[in-house]
Amino acid sequence: MNQQQLNTRISEIRDKLTAIEQKPDNRIWLSCESENAYAVNKFLFEEVPLRFVIATVIDSDDYFEVLYHYAYDEIGCMVTLKALIRDRENPAIESIAPFLPGAEWIEREMHDLMGIEFRNHPDMRRLILSDDWPVGVYPLRKDAKKPAERPDGEPSRRPTVQSQSPARRTVQLSKPVLPVGPFHPLQEEMELFQLAVDGEIVTDIDMRISYNHRGMEKIAETLQFDQVPFLVSRICGICSASHPLAYVQAVEEFAGITPPDRALYVRTIINELERIHSHILWVGLAGHFIGYDTVFMWAWKYREPVLDLLEEITGNRNNYGNVRIGGCREDIPDELKPKIIAEMDKIEKKMVMLTKAVLDDPVLHVRLKGIGILKKEDAINYCVTGPTARASGVDIDVRRDEPYAAYGVLNWNVITQPEGDVFAKAVVRLLETLEAIKIVKEALVKLPKGPVAIEVKQIPAGEGCGHAEAPRGETFHYVRSDGGNRPVRHKMRAPSYVNVPSFKASCLGGNIADVTITLASVDPCYSCTERLAVVKDRGGKVLHDYETLLKLSREKTEKIRKEIL
Amino acid sequence: MGLSTKAVKKSPWVFHVNTGACNNCDIEIVDLLTPRFDVERFGIKLVGSPRHADALLVTGGVTAQAAPRLREVYRQTPKPCVVFAIGACACGKGIFTTGYHMVGPVDKIIREIDPDAIIAYVPGCPPKPEAIISGVVKALAAI
Repeated sequence: MNQQQLNTRISEIRDKLTAIEQKPDNRIWLSCESENAYAVNKFLFEEVPLRFVIATVIDSDDYFEVLYHYAYDEIGCMVTLKALIRDRENPAIESIAPFLPGAEWIEREMHDLMGIEFRNHPDMRRLILSDDWPVGVYPLRKDAKKPAERPDGEPSRRPTVQSQSPARRTVQLSKPVLPVGPFHPLQEEMELFQLAVDGEIVTDIDMRISYNHRGMEKIAETLQFDQVPFLVSRICGICSASHPLAYVQAVEEFAGITPPDRALYVRTIINELERIHSHILWVGLAGHFIGYDTVFMWAWKYREPVLDLLEEITGNRNNYGNVRIGGCREDIPDELKPKIIAEMDKIEKKMVMLTKAVLDDPVLHVRLKGIGILKKEDAINYCVTGPTARASGVDIDVRRDEPYAAYGVLNWNVITQPEGDVFAKAVVRLLETLEAIKIVKEALVKLPKGPVAIEVKQIPAGEGCGHAEAPRGETFHYVRSDGGNRPVRHKMRAPSYVNVPSFKASCLGGNIADVTITLASVDPCYSCTERLAVVKDRGGKVLHDYETLLKLSREKTEKIRKEIL
Repeated sequence: MGLSTKAVKKSPWVFHVNTGACNNCDIEIVDLLTPRFDVERFGIKLVGSPRHADALLVTGGVTAQAAPRLREVYRQTPKPCVVFAIGACACGKGIFTTGYHMVGPVDKIIREIDPDAIIAYVPGCPPKPEAIISGVVKALAAI
């Protein structure tokens, strides 16, 4: 479909909408009343069909707005549906999670933070706020009191809303429950999943997150437009170039700012350097999980020169703080160009060697192929992005679908694999690293002359969506401005937020020894997801801890090696 | 210097606690173990349980949900132990100071259960691996 056909397709549901607006050409804004939201969402997701990105809820004095963001990747168009909830006292809307599993978490989050009730949601337990957070206190509302002024509500360890639906998914604690985590010796973050097991087979999985929730969306409302990039680069230390870029693109979109060409190239180079170091980091960790510690050490050694380059360009190994509205803060000095190209050549050789070693290793083939398969339809239903989607045959990449920075004028390929298993995800990341090296080199050669930033006087009122391809997938930022110097609402969605729930599809029916590598295969980033998980022993017997799990995983590799060689 | 203090200072084993960090300090800590910095040559080892640890490397400004877990981890660590608050957030909540879900910083949470805890601060966003090594060396020299 081209833009014209998409518009026609969407206008088929015109009678349920109150407004259709198109600004700029590839952003469509639909409005409807809350009663019609379910039908319109079903139409958009199943009939058109669009990819669900995330939902945002906005507290606009007299009413609540729930914004459902969709993307049509073929032509890089974003469709936003605004549903108005006029009843401020008991805000409620029909849940879309029954047909759209990818929306389950965000509806729980909107309930926690803004107090919207989602009717017929399959599992409305607390997701993002802490266990002892008082009931009925919604921090994202405009009238929310600061913690110090807040009356002590009744702390609750129970869900604030009991699920109405019989299809409630929780791990049955009467079964043996295997907690994975919360503290891994080598995984940087706390993380925990409760796995219900039947013998060696995983039968159910549950996740409790909140541990890393820092409340950034509220903090962003207190910062000026120019300060926000410093905040969002700290959503995740490994995606600290793509988050600010997505935010800045959202603001530039509705403010009508076009950054100079050189800035676009500098943004591309920094983002690709970030992708290189992030993917190498993942290869190392994946090697560790299956008992290839040599790969871990070598991969992290190869990663160091990339961090050195980033430090030389931006002044910091991580958290670059380089992108700003209207351009970039720091330029890449011309005398640094030969050094970067020389380093890229070195890394390319090493990565080619590493890729060959992985692709030719019979043990890895047996160990990783057919493990943790995420089927294409599951990938679409859970709305996963990035390498996780591309390894399941879903051909999406923001860099190509809606070219930003300088990606539109450079030559590179989108890597996809049809299988959906752990091996495919490894292949996608390894080959993507080589593509990223190619992009950096080409961008450096073509780097145009000129300034890297333009002066920005004022941010007008408006709203915009920006997205960028981070190493783990699409980061999405929605910004609304009322013409003041601070955003009135800023929604951030990191790729792991949609990738992590797909474990439900990829882990079930698998073997315990395969769980660590399956969980690791989406490159989960819990600070991205703004939350972490811990399990408390609620009487369920703990069968294995992390060390045993790691041992199981490694023993399986060792056994395979002996059988093969 | 008592025997237990000497044991802490020789080959300190460390346990890594993320209490709501952005992953940045955390990858720099893992970086310390890999070939360029390789702190294992000094006997510094990342261990899988706080019960084996001489020191805690705490990152993040402590979210409401992580605070009870941090206290529990501290209780489980054999004393004497050194708590390292690594990064701007752990030292003073950093950019997240105004967040509604933040109850830290690290020293406040630890001092609630042990006013005499030994706490060392390594500021930076993120601190470079060299800075973390330097912080550990200085703290161990001071006790």
